[in-house]
Amino acid sequence: MIEEFYKKINGNYEEAISRMKNDERIIKFLKFFLMDESYKQLEQAIDNGSCDDAFRGAHTLKGVCKNMAFTELSLVVERITEELRAKEFEKAKTTFPKVSEEYKKVIEEINKIV
Amino acid sequence: MISEGKEGIKLYMEERDTILIVDDVLINRELLKDIFEEGEYKILEASNGEEAIELLDEHTDEIALVFLDLVMPKKNGLEVMHHMSLNNIIKIIPVIMITGEATVESDVKAYELGAADIIYKPFEPAVVIRRAKNIIELYQHRISIENELALRTQELYESKRQIEQSNIFLTNALSSVVEFRSLESGEHIQRVKKLTEIMLRHWRALFGEEQFTDEQIELIVNASALHDIGKIAIPDSILLKPEKLTDEEYEEMKKHTIYGCLMLEKFKQEENEFYRYCYDICRYHHERYDGKGYPDGLVGDDIPIWAQIVSIVDVYDALINKRVYKESFSVDETYQMIHDGKCGKFNPKLLECFDDAKEDFVASMLDKS
Repeated sequence: MIEEFYKKINGNYEEAISRMKNDERIIKFLKFFLMDESYKQLEQAIDNGSCDDAFRGAHTLKGVCKNMAFTELSLVVERITEELRAKEFEKAKTTFPKVSEEYKKVIEEINKIV
Repeated sequence: MISEGKEGIKLYMEERDTILIVDDVLINRELLKDIFEEGEYKILEASNGEEAIELLDEHTDEIALVFLDLVMPKKNGLEVMHHMSLNNIIKIIPVIMITGEATVESDVKAYELGAADIIYKPFEPAVVIRRAKNIIELYQHRISIENELALRTQELYESKRQIEQSNIFLTNALSSVVEFRSLESGEHIQRVKKLTEIMLRHWRALFGEEQFTDEQIELIVNASALHDIGKIAIPDSILLKPEKLTDEEYEEMKKHTIYGCLMLEKFKQEENEFYRYCYDICRYHHERYDGKGYPDGLVGDDIPIWAQIVSIVDVYDALINKRVYKESFSVDETYQMIHDGKCGKFNPKLLECFDDAKEDFVASMLDKS
């Protein structure tokens, strides 16, 4: 079931297992992921036009996605993080819908499991 | 606040069994916690820099290793490191920085502040465990060697201590001669010593551990007591004059820097470090960074940093306290005046250090009263 989930969201199941050891643990962490605030922080900051806050949110989200082995999502979050680090806010704004789309896909799939 | 140095902190690693994990993101903390699940270590968690500092202060003797995130709310990772540096525990408790990616600036800064290692997200459990164990062992090994060395040098240290004690006694006796004659200085010299020590510790924490050893700090602090020793040679009519000095009198007053050195030269036995600090501080504690000070008009870093530190401390203490010719200023007013260059120009790095030390300056005043 969890392996299936990682396939659907283009994540890396082997990597996730090496870090979290078994499916039960992964489910525990998926629940934590639902509670994580960094996406909200990024979304709000993009709306408010605050580049620094957006960077902090994106940066945190990137670390979390990498740790969860959400490969596809972490790639697009990495992109927006680098754009925000370089203060290219307009560019980041055009990247954000892709982040949002990938993020919602992951959330949707998590909700099917937990 | 600054601790008294290494003596008060437990050095034996065997008794340290706790890992402190500092990260604002729950998932990252939980992952690290799971990596160390075998129960070999107790785990403490903090979700921001402030909590981390509280836990570090509370569990100084139990923590064997800190995992520290850089970007956090309420004090970031670098501020936690700064705190550890000020408290002298950065050499005893190793810190592994957690970071999202390698940026040269943050890596260099982390190592400069004393981080033992850096790990990047995503975590590789096998690597994290190996590194953590290596670093704990490394620190344990280093500390046990240092302990052994400390034991062996204990006797040596004791006799050195006695010599130092008599040194302190003599410098205090000598400097109090000036205090006795001059009506206003009162406890000025003791305060200059305390403030000089605070500045030196902040200087070391801000600009790198290599700058001053604990021993050097002690020597400089003692030397600072003698900064006005040359005032012995200034006539009462000038030294104790309550009114403003005439130009001529002021020129004579300025010579206390040179008189101090002449006296020191007379009982100099051989060139050593302590003599050098005493001499430099006597002679150069009225020099200014832009060359507008006296007696030699030295510019910039030609003025030894220990003399620069005593000069800013001397000015601060003069402003903050009441003198016959003026009322006292508040801490904020004093800081503003010094920043505005009302008492001459100071080294920008020195001013940065001065700002960093503000909290401790205020605390040291409260201690007195």
